[in-house]
Amino acid sequence: MNAKLGLSVVSLAALLGSTAIAQANSLTINSFGGAYETAHRECVISPFEKETGATVNVVTAYSADAFAQVRAQKDAPQFDVIHFSGGQEIVAAAEGLLSPIDDTKLTNAADLYDFAKAKLAAGEGPAYSIAAIGLVYNTEALAEKPTKWTDLLKPELSEGLVLTDISNGYGMLGFLMLNQVQGGDLTNIQPGLDAVKSLLDAGALVVATSPEIQQEFAQNGALIAPYASDYAFTLRNAGLPSGFQAGEEGTPASFITANLVAGRDNADLALKFIDMTISADAQACFANALRYTPTNSKTELAPEVAADVAYGEAAVAGLLRFDPTVIEANRSAWVEQWNRTIAQ
Amino acid sequence: MNDRTENLLLALPGILLLALAFLFPIGQMLILSVSGPDGFTLAPFARFLSDPYYMGVLWRTVRLSLIITIICAVIGFPLAYIMTKVGPRLRLWLVIMIILPLMTSVVIRTFGWMVMLSRSGIIPQILRDFDLVGRNFALMQTETAIVIGMVQVLLPFMTLSILGVLTRVDGRLEEAARTMGCSFLQTVRTVVLPLSLPGLVAGSLLCFTLSASSFVTPNLLGGSRIQVLAASIYRSVTSAPDWPFASAQAVILFVGILLVLIPYMKLTGGKNG
Repeated sequence: MNAKLGLSVVSLAALLGSTAIAQANSLTINSFGGAYETAHRECVISPFEKETGATVNVVTAYSADAFAQVRAQKDAPQFDVIHFSGGQEIVAAAEGLLSPIDDTKLTNAADLYDFAKAKLAAGEGPAYSIAAIGLVYNTEALAEKPTKWTDLLKPELSEGLVLTDISNGYGMLGFLMLNQVQGGDLTNIQPGLDAVKSLLDAGALVVATSPEIQQEFAQNGALIAPYASDYAFTLRNAGLPSGFQAGEEGTPASFITANLVAGRDNADLALKFIDMTISADAQACFANALRYTPTNSKTELAPEVAADVAYGEAAVAGLLRFDPTVIEANRSAWVEQWNRTIAQ
Repeated sequence: MNDRTENLLLALPGILLLALAFLFPIGQMLILSVSGPDGFTLAPFARFLSDPYYMGVLWRTVRLSLIITIICAVIGFPLAYIMTKVGPRLRLWLVIMIILPLMTSVVIRTFGWMVMLSRSGIIPQILRDFDLVGRNFALMQTETAIVIGMVQVLLPFMTLSILGVLTRVDGRLEEAARTMGCSFLQTVRTVVLPLSLPGLVAGSLLCFTLSASSFVTPNLLGGSRIQVLAASIYRSVTSAPDWPFASAQAVILFVGILLVLIPYMKLTGGKNG
């Protein structure tokens, strides 16, 4: 009996020991699922595993969910690197959930545009991609190409219009732009809400996630959706006739960032992962696969890829960014107002 | 070692698991729901209970759960009754047919309904072909869609609860009632229904609590425009992020379900619990 017990204790200890070793050479990150995750693996995760011999555990979680998880795990973080696309890093850094990054430890930091690495010391990770928000539309079903944000309000489009809930980062930016062209601003979102209300009454739909947008385009005759440029490309790859048009009034940009989670013990490996994420190669790969705008000035793109993104210093400077701190400060109030507006 | 300590030791893993995985988080949730920036506060509850929008969400949750439970009972009872009457082979097939959907994930089944109920789905198509509805009619993102989906998800629970009780009812009781001159329906009403009541109540409770706290199906079929309480909690946690308010909503849901359970426990006196 005792011998058996001893044996099991020893084997248990061995088991625990082996997991501890595995831990030291593995990273846990989040990714955004679907085509994004496929590209993420191809551009960063697999090359990283090959180069370092480490294993990367990927948890599929959108920014808002990922942020909720990181916040819940404050005392015992489970993620090493967390990716956000909705400005969550600003709040997370302010709450001390993220670790400041020393840019001397990132070999590629020097090549990033300034705006992409402005807040490293505060704990906000570098932006490695930019998503441009504009009009994603059905190129076959629409007789005339939409060019302006106000085209969304055309009555003939209402029943084919798909809006995205503002709990989604891109949905939020699209809504804020609609609000802006209706005469609102970040201190007053009522004009946008009124527009949304009348659009819904006229037959528009609200969806919560991007796969639902694809479903609407594929099966339910959706005509137009204010969303990200990369998504038009995703739809095209799925065999749907879709195009992207930047609205004349401006193009809101969403920064996708890779952040170092505080309180984990293999920060060096995590930094290596972030470094690889911002490299010119990884960004070219992302642009080729998904049409995201790179933030690394050394990124080389083929002409047909460059046509779909904001390429080069001048083009990138033309994007407009709604102040994420203001969005964060108002998020809960806005979501509340939005929920009331769309509730049936 | 006497019997008592032995029993206690045997029960210990279960008790520990419950404490860690259930009591502790629930306790944390309760604490979080009444903690404001400066100590104890009931503000989140006041905000919920004084707001027509949130009371509407609560009322919709209760209303839909009741409708779903009633429909499940109306379909489930005859189904279970038939299953006790047929031969063993057919009964086996019927049981398999009822249990089979439980082998697939709720999410997958819900996606199935999404395909069928959407604007170009088969059900709106058929209704359109018969000119019963307009061109843009869709069942998706309506309360009807939630009810249809939830009934399909919860029916097995109801049927199996009733079946468990009905199989133990002595068939001779019905025969006796028939010889006394009862019609079939009278027999069902005066003999079978009262005897199957414990199963019906248990099944209804299961259906009610599961649908009141369900999240995936209402969220996917109802969309973000039709909020139920579980989805509202989720939004408060992830997109607002307002955890004290989310906890308060969770406590309200929890207490609401508890209120439904207590009369049941009183009713059955622990006999069939």
